[in-house]
Amino acid sequence: MSILSLNNVSKSFGETKIIKAVSLDIEQGEKHAIIGPNGAGKSTLFHLISGRHNVTDGTIKFKDNEIQNKPPYEIARLGLARSFQVTNIFHRMNVFENVRCALLWSSNYRYSFWHLLGRQGELNDQAMHVLDQIGLKDKALYPSGELAYAQQRALELGIAIASGAELIMLDEPVAGMSHSEAENAVELINRITEGKTLIMVEHDMNIVFDMADRISVLVYGEIIATDKPENVRGNARVQEAYLGEVATSA
Amino acid sequence: MAMIKKLSVWIAFLLVMLALPQFSDSILSVSIYNQMAIAIIFALSYNMLLGQGGMLSFGHAVYFGLGGFLAVHTLIMMEFETVYFSIIWIPLVGGLFGLLAAIFIGSFSTHKAGTVFAMISLGIGELIAASSLIFVGFFGGEAGVSGDRTFGPPLFGVEFFQDVEIYYVAAVWVFIATVFMYLFTQTPAGRMANAVRDNPERAEFIGYSARRVRFISFCASGLFAGIAGGLFALNYEFITEENLNAATSGRVLLMAYIGGLGYFIGPILGAVILTLMNSLLSNYSDLWMLYLGIMFLLTVLFLPRGFAGFIMMHQVAWLKGSLKNLALPYLITCIPAILFLVGAIGMLEMSHSEDAIFHFLGMELDTSSTITWLAAIIFTLGSLFATSKSLPQLRDAWEEANTIPEVVKEDES
Ligand SMILES: Nc1ncnc2c1ncn2[C@@H]1O[C@H](COP(=O)(O)OP(=O)(O)OP(=O)(O)O)[C@@H](O)[C@H]1O
Ligand SMILES: [Mg+2]
Repeated sequence: MSILSLNNVSKSFGETKIIKAVSLDIEQGEKHAIIGPNGAGKSTLFHLISGRHNVTDGTIKFKDNEIQNKPPYEIARLGLARSFQVTNIFHRMNVFENVRCALLWSSNYRYSFWHLLGRQGELNDQAMHVLDQIGLKDKALYPSGELAYAQQRALELGIAIASGAELIMLDEPVAGMSHSEAENAVELINRITEGKTLIMVEHDMNIVFDMADRISVLVYGEIIATDKPENVRGNARVQEAYLGEVATSA
Repeated sequence: MAMIKKLSVWIAFLLVMLALPQFSDSILSVSIYNQMAIAIIFALSYNMLLGQGGMLSFGHAVYFGLGGFLAVHTLIMMEFETVYFSIIWIPLVGGLFGLLAAIFIGSFSTHKAGTVFAMISLGIGELIAASSLIFVGFFGGEAGVSGDRTFGPPLFGVEFFQDVEIYYVAAVWVFIATVFMYLFTQTPAGRMANAVRDNPERAEFIGYSARRVRFISFCASGLFAGIAGGLFALNYEFITEENLNAATSGRVLLMAYIGGLGYFIGPILGAVILTLMNSLLSNYSDLWMLYLGIMFLLTVLFLPRGFAGFIMMHQVAWLKGSLKNLALPYLITCIPAILFLVGAIGMLEMSHSEDAIFHFLGMELDTSSTITWLAAIIFTLGSLFATSKSLPQLRDAWEEANTIPEVVKEDES
């Protein structure tokens, strides 16, 4: 059963068509990678699904709800969480507060002004647990804006996964990390998304072929192939459009 | 342990406020206490918008003033025996009206933060100020409206003829309002206000409508501004258009900013400092508004985190026990700096003085003599030069006092 399905989704900025009639079904529980050259529209596709941008045309269904053109918070409340390619955190709040805020809605606090956060033992434990998982426990009280780059990326991931959403979308989660940092992050992503659905944009082919159940290749706003990793590797069109360059340059 | 420590700070806060009249209960002192009480609540409510919620408002006096107007009308109704309850509840009446106004105006003004919000707040401010001269029935035109607080039922025999009696009421309200505003920062709505201030976009991706979060802070802020307005009405027994216009809105921004937006205690400091300057300085100099402006400018330039931020800067040195090593370097810089201030103020006052002989710090200065001016200029520039020469030693001492291997900082927002 598919948890997310895109049907002929298009997006234009002014005259330029960035996403061209993309249709895609994501199965419940699968790990799906989206690859494609720079500027192909991968992030834009993420923005359309998560509600940052309105679609120009087409429909997006998430668990039987039509979500295209809905505001991000309504989509998030349905159980879709995402991270950003460019770090997007609450920079003046400390690391712990960042994660705790990400937990609030899913823990049903809504807009409460009658709960004192200091007294919500379970919530605070949960936030600490997330910090532990992303390796930032000892930085809990540190202003997040002053963290090192890799730590901010870890926090970016932490905010996305904190709420325990069913569908997690990560836009280049390990970009800019060192090899060992990336390894840790991948292990973490694997652990955290167990039993969940993951959609991930990633440039590192080793990671992609290692993690993904299926891969979609996006080139100039069009999905030219969606298949199992081994089939994608052998696909001539993909070779030509994308993988060929990477393989030779790597 | 932390709990007890926090609690004792609050109890000390209440006790200090209640004890103030024991130190001095002259009419001037009590009038200053009351102004401070009003200013503290008002400035804290402003900080809920700007410091906590990232909404720059140029029209916050609207909620203060509207609360105050309804409070005075309630006093008038008491006089005519339409309503009958103890006047200690008047601030609450003001608060509820402030809340009502905030719900109405916030429903469209909190759509966006930033420039849009600032411009709407300015527009609403002008609109209400203009209305106050049109709807004379409610606002009383230029003269405003006045009431009499002594018509309510006495409370334990107190009939509130004296300002000091009002002060005790005000002190309790300051305490209650401060506690609740502090607690608000510790709730999901209060925390999300910080999150939306920092990054409204990301807040929406974790399930929160930035607009709704802003709206809630905005309403809470209107409530407390209205309480401050109600206290104002109780204290002065009259209110005019001046209390809801742009000048009052500007003053509360100044208070919160000078005190320090990032810290809960900042606006309290700002309210105290500005009220003192306002009441004391204005007795000594016509130029006090100018000094206020200069102080604001210097704060923005050199203490962007306000007085509270300046105090908090010393946390590391305090923890390290090296604060005392800073005393002498501070003194060395302060002496020429104070001399410079004396010189600069002297020159400003001299040029403002209309008399030929100007009395300044026991000196008789001839304002038309070139020699006097030359001496003043040399003195001022000399002390400025000395101040700048003393800065490197202060900087070195500062570095020395603050170097430690790894600091765990606490976020104060
Ligand atoms: N808001 C916007 N307005 C106009 N053009 C945009 C906008 N956002 C993206 N684009 C354009 O859309 C194209 C796709 O951008 P997008 O960020 O989706 O690519 P991407 O596949 O994520 O690339 P990368 O691998 O570099 O992250 C780019 O040419 C970009 O310039
Ligand atoms: Mg991208």
